[in-house]
Amino acid sequence: MKQKIGALLAALALAVSAAACGAPGASVTPTPVPAATPAPTPAPEQIVRPETQPAFPATVTDAAGRQVSIESQPETLVSGYYITTSMLIAMGQQDKLVGIEAKAASRPIYALAAPELLELPNVGSAKEFDLEGCAALEPDLAILPLRLKDAADTLTELGIPTITVNPEDLEQMAQTVRLLGQAIGAVEEAQALLDDNQATQDFLEQTLAGAAAPRVYLAGNSSYLSTAGGAMYQNALIELGGGENVAAGLTDTYWAQVSYEQLLSWDPEVILIACDAGYTREELLGDPQLEQLSAVRSGAVYAMPSGVEAWDSPVPSALVGSRWVASVLHGDAYPFGQFQADAAEFYRNFYGFEIDPALLPDPLAW
Amino acid sequence: MPGSKRLCVRFFAALVLTGALLLLSVAVGRYPILWEEVLEDTLSRRVLLTLRLPRTLMALTAGFGLGVAGGTYQTVFQNPLASPDVIGVSSGASAGAAAAILFLDGGLACVTLAAFTGGFLAVLSALALASAAQGRGMNTIVLSGIAVNAVSQALLMLMKLAGDPERHLAAIEFWTMGSFADVTLRHFLAVLPWAALGLAGLLLLHRQVLLLGLEPDEAHMLGVPVQGMRYLVLLLATLVTGAVVSVTGLISFVGLLAPHIARLITRSSRFSTVMLSGVTGGALLLASDILARSIGSSEVPVSVVTSLLGAPFLFWLMCRREAGHG
Repeated sequence: MKQKIGALLAALALAVSAAACGAPGASVTPTPVPAATPAPTPAPEQIVRPETQPAFPATVTDAAGRQVSIESQPETLVSGYYITTSMLIAMGQQDKLVGIEAKAASRPIYALAAPELLELPNVGSAKEFDLEGCAALEPDLAILPLRLKDAADTLTELGIPTITVNPEDLEQMAQTVRLLGQAIGAVEEAQALLDDNQATQDFLEQTLAGAAAPRVYLAGNSSYLSTAGGAMYQNALIELGGGENVAAGLTDTYWAQVSYEQLLSWDPEVILIACDAGYTREELLGDPQLEQLSAVRSGAVYAMPSGVEAWDSPVPSALVGSRWVASVLHGDAYPFGQFQADAAEFYRNFYGFEIDPALLPDPLAW
Repeated sequence: MPGSKRLCVRFFAALVLTGALLLLSVAVGRYPILWEEVLEDTLSRRVLLTLRLPRTLMALTAGFGLGVAGGTYQTVFQNPLASPDVIGVSSGASAGAAAAILFLDGGLACVTLAAFTGGFLAVLSALALASAAQGRGMNTIVLSGIAVNAVSQALLMLMKLAGDPERHLAAIEFWTMGSFADVTLRHFLAVLPWAALGLAGLLLLHRQVLLLGLEPDEAHMLGVPVQGMRYLVLLLATLVTGAVVSVTGLISFVGLLAPHIARLITRSSRFSTVMLSGVTGGALLLASDILARSIGSSEVPVSVVTSLLGAPFLFWLMCRREAGHG
């Protein structure tokens, strides 16, 4: 009996030590696949195909550093991420979509620009991706967020070319647009979107040059005691719009919780409320703990419109958000009426619809 | 009908039901597999071999493993409410998975390894604490498990606090709901040896497992080194549970419920009951996974289904016992 126990204990010890040393992980590690193998030094979304070659077959390097070969121009696409779905609409490729991410109904831009997308099958979300559902659509190309790298590897094993993207800031958003343009054969459309974004950045820099930057607090959508620090995209949104983010010193890469005391010590001149906030401007203004804030006393609390797209995330229309911030903070240099006209032009050019002015109410008129 | 023959018939019926659910699980899914094409190199074949079959086998293995481990825990602890949570494997695995999601790349391989290691370390800590306390009763192990659980939960809360609410926190919460959605052949093959090792050990020690259900003095008189054997059996059951949940995330109720159903069928506490717990667990989890992938437009976490199925059954069992049937 003791021998039996001893043998089993030895086997267990071996099992535990092997587990700690990574044995199961080694066997779980994705096996090399023919179409998409990890590059030795990942260079996110760098296009390796020389411009002089024919568009297809093409090999692109995605956000995970995987080299993905695409034999011919994809005719059918699955987008598992709302940002790439929006990019594909902005590039005029929505007709190629055969499946998109879950909860599409929560994205008003789809209903405005491409309502047919709401009828497409959904392939789940980054939390619960539907591998079989995606395979059933048999797309020529699947586009997934970097968080779904494992799913991308599995789809590639199934024979479905799949790229991952990681648009976390303006630079990565531009890289993603370029990658999509190459991968789907819409380089010109991608470039048009990038040129427009660059023109908007240049315009804002010139228009707001020399203007004093007010101290701005961006109240997060879950609570007005959460905000975006300097490492987040929202910091660029504020700075491009001519403001100074009072929370720029925070190094968090996600919405950080702050205390009343912290907010009172920052004493922002302007408070901007993020898109889709779970509270109202009136609730924030009515909070007795905040009544001493400069922004609250002057009523300089403005909610970012939520009826079109979440401009406080790196979507293709993110710079429309910076235009909105500029018109709120620097109405003299960039009147709200001009913002409305510019936003309408952007959506007309890239999303093909006339925006209802009611979706862009003048915050200074509240 | 003699008792043993009746037991054989019931065991056979449970096997047939599990087999039927296995076939149904292979047949049901989002991808419309063209069965006439599966012998050729088609997408149908690749979906079947890479996704559908491994998922089905993983659900069966997970259910069988959790059922046997649950039956073992209940026997060893002499407590019908005992489950892997008692000595910290679930909370340890959760803390391990959360650490991988938060501090490492959060990929499936990484989370699997971290969860497995976390679960095992938690149980080793609980058993080491119990050993250091020099207590010889099961209460010492249970109290050590509670202490380790508390520490694991505290670590888990700290990691949730440190994580991005939209990315890390969501991923951690989702992991604790369990899912077979991303199980592929390589994940199944990676955990199979560990689960098989634990199950083989429990099978080899089936007599000792039963004797541990007796009073310690009786077990000792029958030649069982009680303390060492308890630790070994608990480690084997933990190996099975840890291997399963490291891939699937936490799965509620199966480890608790399957042994009760098995006892209801056999009306005894023999080792065949522990084995039947495994078969019942497999059937429960196969059925739950079929529902999880079929009832909505998106997949539902499997613990939602197992909890919704398990809670009313447990209530029924409780009423039955109160009425004097159990």
